[in-house]
Amino acid sequence: MSEAQISSPSSRPASVLPAAAPRRGLGAWLAQERVFRLIPFVIVEVIFVLVIIIPFLLTVYISFLKWRANRPFEQAYLSGFENYERVLTEPGFWAALGRTFYFAGCAVTLELVIGFVLAMLVSHIVRGRGLYITVILVPMMIVPVVVGYNFTMLYIDSGPLNQLLAPFVEPFGINPRIRWLSDPVAAQWGVILADVWQWTSLTFLIFLSGFSALPKQLVNAARVMGASAWQIFWRVELPLLKPAIVIAVVIRSMEALKIFDPVVLLTAGGPGTSTQSIAFYLWEQVWVFNKFSFGAAASIVLLAIFAALIFGGIYLLVRQSAAVAPERAT
Amino acid sequence: MSAAEMTRPQADPTGRRNVWRRRLRVAARHAILIGWALIILFPIYWMIATSFKESHEWVAWPPHWLPHEPTIKNYSQIFTFDTMQKGVAREATEQPFNVWGPLGDSLLICTVSALAALLLGTFLAYSISRFNVGGGRFRHAILMIRMVPPIVIAIPLLMYYAIMIPLAAETVIGTRIILFDTRVGVSLIYIATTLPFVIWMMLTFIEEVPYTLEHAARMMGAGRMYTLRRVVLPLVASGMVVTFLFVFILNWAEFLLALTLTHPKVVTLPVLLNKFQSASEGRLFGPQAAIGTIITIPVVVLGILIQKHLIKGFSFGTIRK
Repeated sequence: MSEAQISSPSSRPASVLPAAAPRRGLGAWLAQERVFRLIPFVIVEVIFVLVIIIPFLLTVYISFLKWRANRPFEQAYLSGFENYERVLTEPGFWAALGRTFYFAGCAVTLELVIGFVLAMLVSHIVRGRGLYITVILVPMMIVPVVVGYNFTMLYIDSGPLNQLLAPFVEPFGINPRIRWLSDPVAAQWGVILADVWQWTSLTFLIFLSGFSALPKQLVNAARVMGASAWQIFWRVELPLLKPAIVIAVVIRSMEALKIFDPVVLLTAGGPGTSTQSIAFYLWEQVWVFNKFSFGAAASIVLLAIFAALIFGGIYLLVRQSAAVAPERAT
Repeated sequence: MSAAEMTRPQADPTGRRNVWRRRLRVAARHAILIGWALIILFPIYWMIATSFKESHEWVAWPPHWLPHEPTIKNYSQIFTFDTMQKGVAREATEQPFNVWGPLGDSLLICTVSALAALLLGTFLAYSISRFNVGGGRFRHAILMIRMVPPIVIAIPLLMYYAIMIPLAAETVIGTRIILFDTRVGVSLIYIATTLPFVIWMMLTFIEEVPYTLEHAARMMGAGRMYTLRRVVLPLVASGMVVTFLFVFILNWAEFLLALTLTHPKVVTLPVLLNKFQSASEGRLFGPQAAIGTIITIPVVVLGILIQKHLIKGFSFGTIRK
């Protein structure tokens, strides 16, 4: 009854209560359910269209141009698929992409293992639990740029890392003032370890909430039936933690593939190109070399590659949260 | 099996060996956790220590674990009001670096864009939750925006801000509107990139509010906005505060888009820190450490305040505690 009254035009007195004084004109039109529900939707969609969709279409257009920033935009002319051909045949692009997957693979694996172990330890501990959780979560809140800076301070030739290692390397006649970031492999691991330092806290948090949601009865039942701690872990706890593991893998992988800040701060892609992630590579192409149309085409190619990954990731997330929901309800 | 043993199965009273093994296991757990805590705290400690070091101590060998001559010079260098740079020493390491401008830019951009995203996102989350706006898949479509790497958006945005909007505005209104290197431009993109977070976090909070409450208010004749303001908002207010702080932290830490879309007028704090990293400014570890410290401390304090809710933001509500 009242629903019909309120959503009908305002000429009628809406209700007996004073709170619903009859509204007229625009206010009443906006208060109709079919309009009201769409107001926020339209505003947000307009923002997305303005800030994301239109620039994206512009990029598609620019990717078909032959244009570098040293010439005015109006003089650029269409060149068909030339940019795409250059991107797809550019070894630097593919090398950077492969390197990004290598970084992400190494970093995410380490983060998952360390985060899992830490969460398991914390969930079995009573005293000092809150303090441990607070400390372990701190890196997540630190600005990535600051993390990059902190690690340069640790890696420099007269940093504390070299001092700690000095007693172990000096007997072999090695100068302890090692320039870690000047060696390609060490620099790559420098970037990976900075990422691990920061984002293990996130996997830890996800696993911790997984552990705290474990049904205690099942674990106790298994123990009563004589299962060893090892069996309980592999046969009871791990299968129950599967949703948390999937979520951690998907979320961390998607984030790790974007890696940019630590690369800029630690190595600026060097030495050579050994630490260029795909984000850094594209950034350098556009902002340093001004290859705008090349960058535009590369962005589109990259977006196509990522779209597949994103769809896969979201599919996994949705399936897992659907699997989790009924369990939580009981 | 008694209930007491079910709840505390470890409490096995037989034999001292078991007691000792248990103690050993507990000690080992603490040892590993303390080890990791040290790994976490050490880089932060090192930055704070460096921020109090004199210039010759920054890269001394062997490194000084505590500043030998503690000084606040690094802080007075970055917090100087002395924009005319008088009293500047000859050495490059003693230049003043004004952090007030970037601090103001960062605070303004982060606060305004977080507030705007919060209002829009809460409203939309309400609409999604109650009316299923956009269909069942809309939430996942929103999720995709967050997963797109920012570099893919950065290149289009640069061209859009620098070329298309000025050209379009000139032809339509006759004046050039420039979004590149303005606070409005940066705020706008921050709103768009953080909206997915707001929507997902607020969805989990709003869906905890029973619909019957609103229905009752509506039955009694309250208008739409009245119900929203007086019934729903008070119940999700704490959630909104958490979401605001979370989004603020995200914006505060954002680097790539700020680096891309500003130069040289608008400078956010991460961009300022990065400036020192390049060769042109020299590696001024002390002032850098001071800037790093002042960027870090407030955010860590805020983060600890909303610690319990962080998981909602980072996992997009796929996990609930």
